[in-house]
Amino acid sequence: MLNIWLISWRNITRRKKRFFFTLAAMVMGVAVMAAMLVADKTTEDVFSYYEQMYVADADYWILSDNHTFPEENIEELGVHPEVSETLLVLDKQAFFELEEDRPQNERSVRITGVSDFSSPLIKLPVTEGSLEDEGLILPKPVARLLGKEIGDSVRFEGMGELEVSAIVEYVQILASPADWEGAQSAGFRVMIPLNILQEWTGMNEEISYMRIQTEGDGEGLFRTLQEEFQGSSEFIQPVVADDRQSNDIGGLYTFFYLIAGLAILISGFIVFNMIYTSVIERKKEFAIMKSLGYLQSSISRLVLTEVLVLASVSVVIGVPFGVWLGDLFMVALLSVFAFDMVYSLNWVTPAIVSAVAGFVFPVLFSLVPIYSAGKTSILLTLKGEKGANSNKRTLRFAAGIVLLAFVFVDHPISYVGILAGIILLFPFFLTVTSKVIRPALSYVFGYGGSLAVQNLHYQLGRNANTSAILAVGVAVILLLGAVVESAPDGYEKEIRSTYGGDIRISSESPWTAEDISHLESYEEVKEVHELAEATPITWRTVSGEYRQFSVLSINSGGPSLYDHPDITLNGQLAGQPSILLGNRAYEEWGGEIGEKMIINTPEGEQELEVSGNVSTSHYSGYVAFMEQGQMQEAFGWGESFDLLLSLGEDSHSFFTRVWEDFGHKLSGAETVEDEIHSTTSAISEMYSLIYVLMILMIGLASIGTANTMLMNTVERTSEISTMRAVGFTVTQVKQMTLAEGLLIGITGVFGGVITGVLLIFTASRSALMEGFLAFQIPVSYVLIAVITGLVFSLLASWSAGSHASNIKLQSSLKEG
Amino acid sequence: MISVQNVRKSFSQGQEQSRVLNGVDLNIMKGEFVAVMGPSGSGKSTLLQLIGGLDVPDDGTIEIDKENIEAMKERERTIFRRENVGFVFQNYQLLQNLSVEENIAFPIHAGGKMSADAKERINDLVAAVGLSGLEKKRVNLLSGGQQQRVAIARALVNKPEVLLADEPTGNLDRAKAEEILALIVSFHQKYNQTIVMVTHDIFAAGFADRIVLFKDGRIDRMISRKDDDYAEYLANFLA
Repeated sequence: MLNIWLISWRNITRRKKRFFFTLAAMVMGVAVMAAMLVADKTTEDVFSYYEQMYVADADYWILSDNHTFPEENIEELGVHPEVSETLLVLDKQAFFELEEDRPQNERSVRITGVSDFSSPLIKLPVTEGSLEDEGLILPKPVARLLGKEIGDSVRFEGMGELEVSAIVEYVQILASPADWEGAQSAGFRVMIPLNILQEWTGMNEEISYMRIQTEGDGEGLFRTLQEEFQGSSEFIQPVVADDRQSNDIGGLYTFFYLIAGLAILISGFIVFNMIYTSVIERKKEFAIMKSLGYLQSSISRLVLTEVLVLASVSVVIGVPFGVWLGDLFMVALLSVFAFDMVYSLNWVTPAIVSAVAGFVFPVLFSLVPIYSAGKTSILLTLKGEKGANSNKRTLRFAAGIVLLAFVFVDHPISYVGILAGIILLFPFFLTVTSKVIRPALSYVFGYGGSLAVQNLHYQLGRNANTSAILAVGVAVILLLGAVVESAPDGYEKEIRSTYGGDIRISSESPWTAEDISHLESYEEVKEVHELAEATPITWRTVSGEYRQFSVLSINSGGPSLYDHPDITLNGQLAGQPSILLGNRAYEEWGGEIGEKMIINTPEGEQELEVSGNVSTSHYSGYVAFMEQGQMQEAFGWGESFDLLLSLGEDSHSFFTRVWEDFGHKLSGAETVEDEIHSTTSAISEMYSLIYVLMILMIGLASIGTANTMLMNTVERTSEISTMRAVGFTVTQVKQMTLAEGLLIGITGVFGGVITGVLLIFTASRSALMEGFLAFQIPVSYVLIAVITGLVFSLLASWSAGSHASNIKLQSSLKEG
Repeated sequence: MISVQNVRKSFSQGQEQSRVLNGVDLNIMKGEFVAVMGPSGSGKSTLLQLIGGLDVPDDGTIEIDKENIEAMKERERTIFRRENVGFVFQNYQLLQNLSVEENIAFPIHAGGKMSADAKERINDLVAAVGLSGLEKKRVNLLSGGQQQRVAIARALVNKPEVLLADEPTGNLDRAKAEEILALIVSFHQKYNQTIVMVTHDIFAAGFADRIVLFKDGRIDRMISRKDDDYAEYLANFLA
């Protein structure tokens, strides 16, 4: 009884090295895909988890545009039949009193006073201590930085002292810097009981906001309160889990998917090469099987089974390896973020998806050889004749040229088209390259160099495909490299042009005209402008989903907060109340310019016309702008808690003075340089991850080179033996193989660099990139790609050369 | 010229050792044409490959012009083979992606640069084997007989002292076989090489000065053209 699985296993393991290389490529393909999916899903979970922690079980919150308001204004809500839970919160700016001498801005801390630590409306993941003991709650990094443990006392300047009762993991409400460097531009956050904070500050019966949980959806209560609060400083907003203002990781997900797709594409290609060669080698075997009564479908099924066996082994090894790799990747990825986040690996769906892909892609890539195996002609094969050679090369060339026209099409699919065009054109590229470098190869490797060129042309299609796949890996990595390298410059340019000045100072109470005059009197201050930021403001997307963002005020005499020469305050924004949306908010909203957006303003729900979309660095474009006058009157936000200042050359003394003069109310002072640093440093830290992925991709492509080189060698065993029999030395055989690998490597790497430059050029001209990517050649990435590609190719051909030099002359001449 | 002394050779097949040559002694004079015959598996091709330095014996010595083949290092053996030995195989063993001219020139290229003399020699050989006009043609487009002519030209391009032919007519029909044998004989007469030819064909062996018969890894009998019973032997064999 024939066991088709057992026979398939024997067939695929017949050539041990080829089996190993193909399996290694498939395992890497599946593993990288699994790792990227794990990273994607886990990152998504991490942010979703922290959003949920922030929102907790609260449905609505009542805030004020005055920072604080009396508790009595809302005290009836505590006993309202539709309200099941309430939580009162007061935020107050303070400073740590430390034994060591540190400047005020580094000691800045926002104390959040909470009426009930155990309330379901706030979630605190305690790692040490207990929420039952009402004391000071410190986030873990702050406790570490201050060297405090449970029971230790912490003093707040001019307020009092409190014992640490609990230490908690990272949560958004207590997001704090993890080191003193970070503390220079971002304040710490801690939590204490509300009554203590009110007592310390003398703000008895005052709160910043109230969180409420309602019975049912609370829509009725929401509408009633919206109406009631009209004309007052208080307003109500639904609690919405939306952290898009602080996280712009959409691009990161695209990057993950790109790498995953590339990995599976390259490994699929390697499988194609292997199965195709195997089918060609075994044509005689198939012809004999058919002559003994095997059907076309039986032969195809046998080859399909071989692919499935290979895929099964690669999935069994690749998926767990990928999950482990994904875990490593997450550790590296989260270390990029300033906060100490924890995560639990989301691996089930990624494992299932990558396992399915691990079966589907190899089968898809093997369909042509599977079909070709079944179609083996008994007579032609047994006679040793080849089928009619169609005009495939001309067709391939023509198709490649046509696809290259995608360079002029500004659409994401263009990149796939360009890459496909390049792959199709690679036989011609390999031919040209080999002609150009043949003299050099002959000079270095002697006659072996010339022979290498001829040998490569003997299997032009296969060698060109191998070279092309290396080129695709190199090209995509260069494109990513260019994006990553130009990102900091792009961000810096955008931040400088839209930040609105040199420094933004924030206060916890509105800035008065007296404050502004005082600041204007500073020698180093050139200009002072008020900035009102209404937050959180909830709104609905066109599909009805609730979101939240900030609305920033703009005025004709003020600095530019966005980059759009066609939109002027005297034009689009001067008439009816309308808003401008940052590009990301505009995309998420889903409407068209001129249409109306539903927004819950402090004055109730309004439909505001969207008069345009603009590019801005504020909240990565997830923001809206409104003319200051309209914001006060129609929108209902009257106070400005922020100031934008332009400073002169010598501004060193400014920080000391501003903290001295306004320390009692100042909650933050951030310079444009701080903003640039915090935005670009995260991207810079991503560099190392991208370098690793890049080497991984080129390594994977090089496995393809090794496999092809090995197939070329095994296929030519008889020829190589003949060469040796008529006078070629072992060294000459090795030189020949090395030259072949080098030629594939050089063509792949340089073809990849050219393709990469072409992709960068296309991307830099694309309107979709909004001028974010300037045309530039990422030199460091080019160098790494060239060196890695060539070294891996040489290693691959060295391995094939060793195999060739170990060929037993006697037996292989007999086979021939 | 060629001295084979007490040569033994075994091959492993799975876990079993199979002795192919079991103490062979053979001396071949310079310019002599020797045909080696015997049933399949008797060791005749193995002997040819050992003389050509494609493999080394387990025991015994092989000398060509007093040069000990098995004592040489791999590289030395290859260079010695390139300069002194020409090979013709039953299945031609041409390099399919090279042209007629390139195949013939291969041993010269392998040894270094192509000289004007070598180019002339190649042209002469192409003409001599009757392939003029086909120099640039890829060998996979030639007939079997033409491919074997290329193989003979390649074997002779470095003017070797020894020509080793392993069933050179085995894949050819009678007419083509006769043409190839005539070619080998004409070169033998012209250049006086020492020829060792393995064959199953008594007709082909009839061109040799001496016939060596192999059986079970040993020389069973040798018969020379000079022997009285040579004609009778051939007649009996053919009968």
